[in-house]
Order: sequence, then structure tokens, then C-alpha cells
Amino acid sequence: MTPSEGARAGTGRELEMLDSLLALGGLVLLRDSVEWEGRSLLKALVKKSALCGEQVHILGCEVSEEEFREGFDSDINNRLVYHDFFRDPLNWSKTEEAFPGGPLGALRAMCKRTDPVPVTIALDSLSWLLLRLPCTTLCQVLHAVSHQDSCPGDSSSVGKVSVLGLLHEELHGPGPVGALSSLAQTEVTLGGTMGQASAHILCRRPRQRPTDQTQWFSILPDFSLDLQEGPSVESQPYSDPHIPPVDPTTHLTFNLHLSKKEREARDSLILPFQFSSEKQQALLRPRPGQATSHIFYEPDAYDDLDQEDPDDDLDI
Amino acid sequence: MAAVATCGSVAASTGSAVATASKSNVTSFQRRGPRASVTNDSGPRLVSIAGTRPSVRNGQLLVSTGLPALDQLLGGGLAVGTVLLIEEDKYNIYSPLLFKYFLAEGIVNGHTLLVASAKEDPANILQELPAPLLDDKCKKEFDEDVYNHKTPESNIKMKIAWRYQLLPKMEIGPVSSSRFGHYYDASKRMPQELIEASNWHGFFLPEKISSTLKVEPCSLTPGYTKLLQFIQNIIYEEGFDGSNPQRNILRIGIQNLGSPLWGDDICCAENGGNSHSLTKFLYVLRGLLRTSLSACIITMPTHLIQNKAIIARVTTLSDVVVGLESFIGSERETNPLYKDYHGLIHIRQIPRLNNLICDESDVKDLAFKLKRKLFTIERLHLPPDLSDTVSRSSKMDLAESAKRLGPGCGMMAGGKKHLDF
Repeated sequence: MTPSEGARAGTGRELEMLDSLLALGGLVLLRDSVEWEGRSLLKALVKKSALCGEQVHILGCEVSEEEFREGFDSDINNRLVYHDFFRDPLNWSKTEEAFPGGPLGALRAMCKRTDPVPVTIALDSLSWLLLRLPCTTLCQVLHAVSHQDSCPGDSSSVGKVSVLGLLHEELHGPGPVGALSSLAQTEVTLGGTMGQASAHILCRRPRQRPTDQTQWFSILPDFSLDLQEGPSVESQPYSDPHIPPVDPTTHLTFNLHLSKKEREARDSLILPFQFSSEKQQALLRPRPGQATSHIFYEPDAYDDLDQEDPDDDLDI
Repeated sequence: MAAVATCGSVAASTGSAVATASKSNVTSFQRRGPRASVTNDSGPRLVSIAGTRPSVRNGQLLVSTGLPALDQLLGGGLAVGTVLLIEEDKYNIYSPLLFKYFLAEGIVNGHTLLVASAKEDPANILQELPAPLLDDKCKKEFDEDVYNHKTPESNIKMKIAWRYQLLPKMEIGPVSSSRFGHYYDASKRMPQELIEASNWHGFFLPEKISSTLKVEPCSLTPGYTKLLQFIQNIIYEEGFDGSNPQRNILRIGIQNLGSPLWGDDICCAENGGNSHSLTKFLYVLRGLLRTSLSACIITMPTHLIQNKAIIARVTTLSDVVVGLESFIGSERETNPLYKDYHGLIHIRQIPRLNNLICDESDVKDLAFKLKRKLFTIERLHLPPDLSDTVSRSSKMDLAESAKRLGPGCGMMAGGKKHLDF
């Protein structure tokens, strides 16, 4: 069994979360905050992809190389290709090992790869880049890097690219964060309650509904993941069970409901403006009760019982 | 070609009518028609271009947007020379559909397409266009689609309010005699032969622009400048500005305008350096469109734009503005009022072209749903309150929604089982 297969055959549940994050490819955004840091999750993902045999590039800008490599065993450390921009970000020492063009140049160079091997690029951190580079340029470069494999014609030549970006939410306004999350294929927001960390994972597959799930986890010292059940949360009932819902139709002085007989009588009623054939016959038939109807009139004292037509005076 | 031939014969007959009138000298008013001495006809006055029709209100030339339901809401179609702006929904799932329907309609009618995008290669966009439904098959497909969703309540004839049954319903099925709008099957792709037979131009920003371009302040972003030059070249070279006697319509589609991938930072910062870039682009684009036989669809992620004033300016600079609001991820997804639909569609603006009033429909509450094959737009109806024990919270939702909905809504507002008079 090759080491990558051995790694894959490890704890089943542990692999699900990291696998799902890396499987989709593209830009994976890890949003963390001061209370729930994301670098350990980033290192867990880096370790996972290194064990799977992918080529791993690290752009280290925020922490030093020693601090980043701490906790990884030598096997993994040998597989990481580390580009250090922490020690000399502006390239003042002018050594050849520094990448020309800074971190942006390094990302652009990775756009022009032609390897069929899948690649994971870890940006530590994306916040550092966002604070120093114009947001639009960074978005364009990230899109170009993460979408190299999306051409349907020559999909076999370039392997899948995953870009893991660590973003500190509190450093940026809603604009840049919104712009980056609209570009990202997967977004992991770290949070938690009561000492237990959770990851809210939002997957945006192209042309499909986004799926989201929340996963409780903890990271072990060797940067492997331990999935856990969430802390027991009492579900808040929507309506208070002690107060029964009030039915306003009880205790009324008038009747709101119809019995079956009444409903039948109502349905068979002919409405006054509906012109049916029975109504037509009833109107055309001479009314039998006409002879029996009389008008009784008591003449008043002031009534003028003149039989003449007052219109006779008019000269028409 | 057939239209030209019949007009030619009409011109010959009017020529003879002019000759007889001048002989008898009945009237001094002469019809100004083509002279009888001209052997080749100078061309008919009214050219009929495939896929267009004049509006019934003011004779404006209209093209179909690809969705006959949307055409009906816009007053017959999209006027030639105008911009249709689609405000994208939050996860950008439904606005690409409207974009593709517009382009597919262009291919079916034989119009020229210009597809511009900074995100996807235009060739890939064209591969994913929906397949058109031909007349003989589509009636069958529609019947089975409609049948699956038929509810028993719709069969009850109204006894007391019987005049409301005569209200015109929203047209969701095909009208077999219309050649103006076509229906598309969203689950199938357009056949390759149709795409290859069509004339299209693509503008993919990463290919056209080099990254070391310097940007002067207060001018257009280089991406926008290049796109405007590209559109102008196509209009000029292919004669859409009237110089080509064989007239055709140019359908322009611009995807995700205003997103950071175009180099515009209105989504990233509230007061960026290039905050007027997008509005200038729309102004120049409108000028280009008004002087050519073209129609344009633009999708824009307005939910990302930080400065709300820019959204207002963009709305004013566009002609038709349609907003999509999908229920995914919002609390409305679980609201029983909206359970049949995938989102709301808002017609935010309709233009007043050569007119004092615009052709707005009286239906303001519209919702859309994406069935397996169809994208339908329907009037939002409140569902009947069928359960006896409805919890208080959903009753309050319905009551609030009933207040929000306009008077053109269905008559089934309010519960049926609770109050029987």
C-alpha cells in the first residue's frame, strides 16, 4: 500500500471533512477570527494534501518559516515547497532565492504551470496580501490560478489546483470579504461555542445550489483532525408549550362554522345575479299569486285626489 | 429575401397608381412613391428583420429576451438599442440562466452575438446554452410539466366572484403561432451545429489585457476601455450602425460587470479611485447602442457594490432593470408562503422610449421557479390555509405578507377553513 492510500484509509470520519474541502478544488477561503484561529486548520489541510501526494506550495507571509513548519514531521516537511516572504517582504537583501515580483509574481508564475500533478497552494495569509495589494489585482490573479483546470478541451494536461487562503475577517470591511467569497468555491467560517470549535462549510458548485453544513472538530497536536459531535444544545421550541394556542372562534355569540346540512343548503342556493334556466322560466311564467295581492291605502287629510293630469297645463 | 420581393411588387403597383392619378388629374396631392422609371426598386421603407417585431404601443422595434414571460412583463420585449440590466442573485445561480436565454434566442433567430466575460471563456458560455424547443414537441412537454403541478383547488369554478375568472392569466405555455419568443429546455444543451452556424464574437478579458497597463485616475478601467473599443469595432465593421443593407441585430451580453475580475473596485471599496468607471462605461455603451441595431444584456452583482449611490446611478443609466432575489440561505426559504418558488423577481425599471408613460404591467408581485426544464415567472399567490392547527407564527407571516402584496393578488387571501360564512 502506498503511503497516500494508507493515509486515505485512515479514520473514515476524519477524512470526510478534509477531503470534501480539497476535492472541489479552486479557492478555499478559511475565515477565522481572534477567538477561533484558522492556521491550525490550514496546516491540517496542508498535511492532508501532502500525504495524498500532491505538490504543495506555501506562500508564507505572516509567520516565519520555522513557526509554520513546527509540528510537521520531517516527511511532510520535505514535501513542502516553501516561499518565504516573511523575512524579507520587500526583497531588500536582493538574494536570488527570493521570488521576483513578490508574492504576486509567485502566484502569477504558478498560473503558467503545465504539470498534470494536482497542486495545493496555501496562502498564509490572504489577509496579508489583501492589505498590501489592490483587491482587484489579487482577485484576478486568484481567479486565474484557481481556474487553470476549467478548460474542457485540455483538462487532462493540467491537474487540479486548490488554493487555500487564510483570511482574518476582522481586518477587512465587508467589501473585500464579499468580493473574495463570491470568487471562492468553498468557504469555511470558523466559530464555536463553549470551547469547542466548529466550521461552517459552504460549498458553491458551479451552476448548482450551494450546500452548507456545520462540523464540530478539534485539531490534535500532530495536525490531524478529530471530528466531534456538537455540544448538546436545547432546541428552542417555537411556541411556548405551557400556553396553548388560543382559538378565537370559541366562545362567540354567533355561529362561524356550518354544519353539513347548512353547507348543502348554501351550495344549492341560486344566487340572484346568476341567470339560469329555472330563473328564466320563473320570470316568463305568469305569476299565479298576482290576483291576490292588493295595495291598501288610507288617504291622508292633505292628499289631493284630483284625477287630472298636472302635465296637461304644459304646451307640448 | 421574401420580404424584399413582395415589397418590390407593391412598389410596382403604386408606381402604376401614380401614373393613373396624374393622367386623370383628380387631385394635386401625389403619392410620393418610387418613380415608375426606376427599374430596380430602391428598397422597402420598413425592413423586417428576423426575430423582431414592432411594439403595439408605439411601433418601437422589439426583440425577445428569450423568456416569453419576461417579454410580457416588459411590454412586449426589449427595445432595440436599449440595455437590460439583471441584478444578480446572491449565489449567482439564476442570473446566468437569463443571460443564456438571451443569447440562445439570438442564435435561434440568426442574430450576431457578442459575449464578453471576465470569468469564463465565451466559448464555454456558448457551449452551455439551452436547447430550443420546437413547436411540435413543446406542447407535449408543457402539458406534462403543468400537469405535475396541478392542484385540485385550481379546478373549482368561482361561484360568487365569477367575474375574476375572466382575468387574463400569466401566459406560461407556448403560443404556437408566435415566432417572436421561443421556449428553451434548460436540461439540454443547444446542438453544436446551431452554435457553429451562428456568427459570434467573444471578449475574454484575461486574454485581451496585459497586466502591466498603467491606469490614469478619473478614467475608465482598462478593461472597460478595451471592451468599448471591441464593441465599437464590431458595430462598425459589420455594419450594425445602418451601413449594411442586410440588416441584422447585434446581441451583446456582458457577464458580471462591476465585479473585481473586470478590474473595477466598486465591490471592494466604498470610495475607490475608479468609482466613476462603471457609470462612464454604461453612458458610453448606451450611446453606442442607441446609434446601432443592437440590444444588450448585462448581469451585475449589485449585492456586492458597497456604495449605494452607485447602484442608483447604474439603475438610471440602464433602460430595463430586473432584480433577482433567490431564497437560498435566507429565512424565506422555510416560509410556507414561498415554498413553491425559488425566488422573487423585481422589475425595477422600464424605460419610457419616445413616450410619456411606460408600459408597466399591473402585476408587481412576481416569483420565479426553475423547474427541471423551464424557468417560469408567475404571479405570487398566497396558498390556501389548509391545516386546522396552524401555529401562530406562520399565521402572522401570512398576515404580514398579505399586507405587503398588492391588490392584484389572488382572492384566496386568508384562511378557508376557519371562517365560513
